[in-house]
Amino acid sequence: MRQEVLARNAGGMWPWLGQRVTAVLVMVTIMVHLVLTHLFASIPLTFDDIGDRLASGAVLVNDVVLLFAVLFHGLNGVRMVVLDWGLSGSGRRVFDGVLWLVGIAASIYGIWALWVWVS
Amino acid sequence: MSAKDRETANVGAGLWKGLGMWAWVLFRVSGLILVGYLFVHVWVISQGRAGAETLDDLFDFFHNPVLVFLELMLVAAVLYHALNGVRIVLMDLGIGIRQHKTVFWACMLVAAVTLAVFTWQAFPYIF
Repeated sequence: MRQEVLARNAGGMWPWLGQRVTAVLVMVTIMVHLVLTHLFASIPLTFDDIGDRLASGAVLVNDVVLLFAVLFHGLNGVRMVVLDWGLSGSGRRVFDGVLWLVGIAASIYGIWALWVWVS
Repeated sequence: MSAKDRETANVGAGLWKGLGMWAWVLFRVSGLILVGYLFVHVWVISQGRAGAETLDDLFDFFHNPVLVFLELMLVAAVLYHALNGVRIVLMDLGIGIRQHKTVFWACMLVAAVTLAVFTWQAFPYIF
């Protein structure tokens, strides 16, 4: 029982590793994102100001990596919470499928949203 | 494992108590708040598709003391989650397991100093 509680990878090895990898990615990219949008942006924020920043390839890559990494990290986090309350068997597989669908849809939606400034 | 068993097991392992427990509870709560915000944020930014004016109107609407204050609380949630996350990643690497309380407060110090910078920036728009 002690073993089971201490195993942080009870939800699977890949989700566990993915959560750590995306954690590090998000820490770096969100820092860039927050410093640029809170400390160096126009106040209040404007459409044109976002465009100026996204015109830089580095900022665009930063924000896209942040979008993908944070979606995985957030949805996998929700999965960890739900699994802790107890969800197994087919219910768990359906739930995993739903989370992947939400993540992929939100990724596409996010890119579509940013496309206004890129194209 | 039922909730009851889980709780007992946590107590047995010495995890479900004290600072470590509260750090974990706050980690989960902040995480769930941030997931909620993530989807709101993506939706707000997507309003740029409707034109510059639509998005700028939204930004003007957000530019009031209450929402700037809430935004600052969001930054606090991000900083807590990120810095407690640093501690967890370090522990996964086998660093600072016995000194986890010291590492926790060191991380919180970094979070507090960073939050102070953002508060300095937000202050004129809240008061």
